[in-house]
Amino acid sequence: MRLRHAIGICALAGLFAVSLQSGAQAAPSCEPEKLAAKYPKLAGKKLIIGQDGESAPFSHRDPKDFNHLIGLDADLARATFACIGVPIEFKTGAWSGLIPAAMSGQVDLMWDTLLYTPERAKKMDFVAYMKSATAIIVPKGNPKKIKTVADMCGLTGTANLGTTQEAMLREGSEKCIAAGKKPIEIVTSTDMPASLRLVQNSRADAALTNKFVGDIMAASTPTIEVAGGIVTNALIAVGTAKGNDDLINAIFDALSVLQANGEMKKIYDANKVDYDLVIPPDILTQ
Amino acid sequence: MGSEAVQSILETLSYSVSGFLLQGALTAIEIAVIAIAAGVVLGLGLALMRLSTFKLVSGFAWFYIWFMRGTPVLLQLVFLYDALPPLGLKLDSFTTAVLGFTLNEAAFCAEIIRGGIISVDRRQTVAAAALGMARFLTLRRIILPQAMRAILPALANQSISVIKGTAVASVIFVNELTFRSQQIVGQNFKFFTVFAAAGLIYLVMTSAVAALQRYLEQRFNPEIEHKRAVTPVPDEAPEAMDWRTLIAAKAPAVSSDLAFVTCHDVRKSYGPREILRGVDLKVQRGEVVVVMGPSGSGKSTLLRLINHLEHVDGGEILVDGKHVGYESHTDGRLEPVRNLAGARAEARIGMVFQSFNLFEHLTALENVAEAPVQVYRQDEAAARAHGARLLAAVGLGRHLDHLPHRLSGGQQQRVAIARALAVSPKLMLFDEPTSALDPELVGEVLTAIRHMAEAGMTMIVVTHEVRFAREVADRIVFMDEGVIVEQGTPAEVLDRPTQERTQRFLRLIERPATP
Repeated sequence: MRLRHAIGICALAGLFAVSLQSGAQAAPSCEPEKLAAKYPKLAGKKLIIGQDGESAPFSHRDPKDFNHLIGLDADLARATFACIGVPIEFKTGAWSGLIPAAMSGQVDLMWDTLLYTPERAKKMDFVAYMKSATAIIVPKGNPKKIKTVADMCGLTGTANLGTTQEAMLREGSEKCIAAGKKPIEIVTSTDMPASLRLVQNSRADAALTNKFVGDIMAASTPTIEVAGGIVTNALIAVGTAKGNDDLINAIFDALSVLQANGEMKKIYDANKVDYDLVIPPDILTQ
Repeated sequence: MGSEAVQSILETLSYSVSGFLLQGALTAIEIAVIAIAAGVVLGLGLALMRLSTFKLVSGFAWFYIWFMRGTPVLLQLVFLYDALPPLGLKLDSFTTAVLGFTLNEAAFCAEIIRGGIISVDRRQTVAAAALGMARFLTLRRIILPQAMRAILPALANQSISVIKGTAVASVIFVNELTFRSQQIVGQNFKFFTVFAAAGLIYLVMTSAVAALQRYLEQRFNPEIEHKRAVTPVPDEAPEAMDWRTLIAAKAPAVSSDLAFVTCHDVRKSYGPREILRGVDLKVQRGEVVVVMGPSGSGKSTLLRLINHLEHVDGGEILVDGKHVGYESHTDGRLEPVRNLAGARAEARIGMVFQSFNLFEHLTALENVAEAPVQVYRQDEAAARAHGARLLAAVGLGRHLDHLPHRLSGGQQQRVAIARALAVSPKLMLFDEPTSALDPELVGEVLTAIRHMAEAGMTMIVVTHEVRFAREVADRIVFMDEGVIVEQGTPAEVLDRPTQERTQRFLRLIERPATP
């Protein structure tokens, strides 16, 4: 209870600081030089950002230099913290290790196409900034004529373990059963390239993945195609351990600025991700 | 099609020399090398703890191994990395991986090393103890070098597993080889060529382990003759040898009443089985006592109590007026001392076993020089020179650099005699020294013992060789069922035994006509 109190007071103080700022200036803009005054807890820090580094176009290796991370998430993180005025360092690890690391503070932030869920919000705080979209990947020519998850009854579908896409397959399977059809056979994999291989080798009829990951895969793999896309209401967000209010507020402010000044759209265009999915930043703590 | 295959191979090769992947390989090697090196050291400690007779110590080691082997290393890593920061201990990725794998390897290495240790014949330890070698000296010089043959293949397997197993450390942000190859695949989806390249790099790394394993296995293989330059010494005719100076035996004390060895009411049981039921025996300085009796009569046990290879349950044994490795408590009770090996070394009691018990990984000369150098801290060159003279005296001057497995039983037993003599013993114990030998090899061993007897060595010999006993023994002691049944000169005991049990035994062993 006492901790929650303290967080509340911090949040209030943060809001007060923000309102002071907005009162002083007409249009919000990046003020990296005022870091210490606006977000005192971030002053003098270098933030560690966790990414998986193998999900094009969000976080992946630069083909010209594998030691360099590029992609929407990497570019957005760089722009956001340049705006805030805090130096950052990317740390790459397996996706399954990112959430525990963010919760324990081993990384300050997870910025890796992370979906907000109320369950996750019990352990982490989020700033959401876009809606998620899912692609259905099938072999070239779409032999099983799949357009939506509803077409997959009795077929084999794959998605990464623990993702919304897996949940969509499970939900679709329930509907198949309810409609008196055969359920979807679900195979989960540890990373997207593994899902892709299941489709290529006819071990799965379709793979569900993030729409833009799917687009990139289809573009570089001649044996597959994207059969259909589904925009969902699930929100993609930046996540951090509870109690980093200065950080949450700073990200919220910076994303607002980047949306207002058009820089965010440039980053989306450069990475060929649909800017229409972007929503005004939203702090989600429960 | 052909050109596509060539293209794939070229691409694989170019990935396999990419700095990005090689950096990951280096990370994997660094973690594996530290984890295995530290794991072996900790594992040795754990293995010894598991072999300890203290329940608490062995129980702790058992629990540790049970836990670490029983839980996935992936979960251990995540725990170390993500569960400790709230407690104020925030380890970085590399440190966590090294720590996690080390703790894990310690458990696996412990069992590998323990397996090696228990694969070495226990009689090697008994032989070392009889030479006054302490526990850790025995472990370092005798047990571990022989255990290596069993340890090395398993340890190489383990090392290779760790190199490949570092891949799971990607959950704690360690960017090793597999993770880095997945990262490239995530960008260009060329999984075939990228994973093939990673596989190639793994093969190179594991081949290095295999090469090291081969080298070490040859190094610790006693069956491969090593270049140990030793000049053979000509065997000297026994008549020409001055055995008296060679074994530094003291002349029999002039009519001293004080016995050199005194056993008083000695009792010993193994569990409920009583082996010795009150043995009284006195051996004078320079006397040769032959102990005979049916198997199970307690003869060997009596010898093992005299040089304190085992504790007495009751009564006492004095050698040269002193207890070997016992101290008197205030209430008069005798308690074994802590430094039993030191007490055995100080007592200088040589022992020769039925099964020779030579150190299998050491040459004849190394066997003989081991205790003088390692226990008595003699100059190595001097010890080797003396050892060579002793081996020449038992007729093995040409076999100094031979390993035990290349010697006949009779030759091995003569090496064992030279080894016992090398520590300048004041008393020699022989436990059926010819029982494991073919009949034609018995003579050469008995000749060596006879020379020692003639030179004035105090000796207790357990044997069934009646003719030898008749020639060499000053006194014959006949034992049965844990007590001395009768004793006297060879003529008294062998020709006119008064006890029925002695008569029956002598009839039994003399039935096959002795030449």
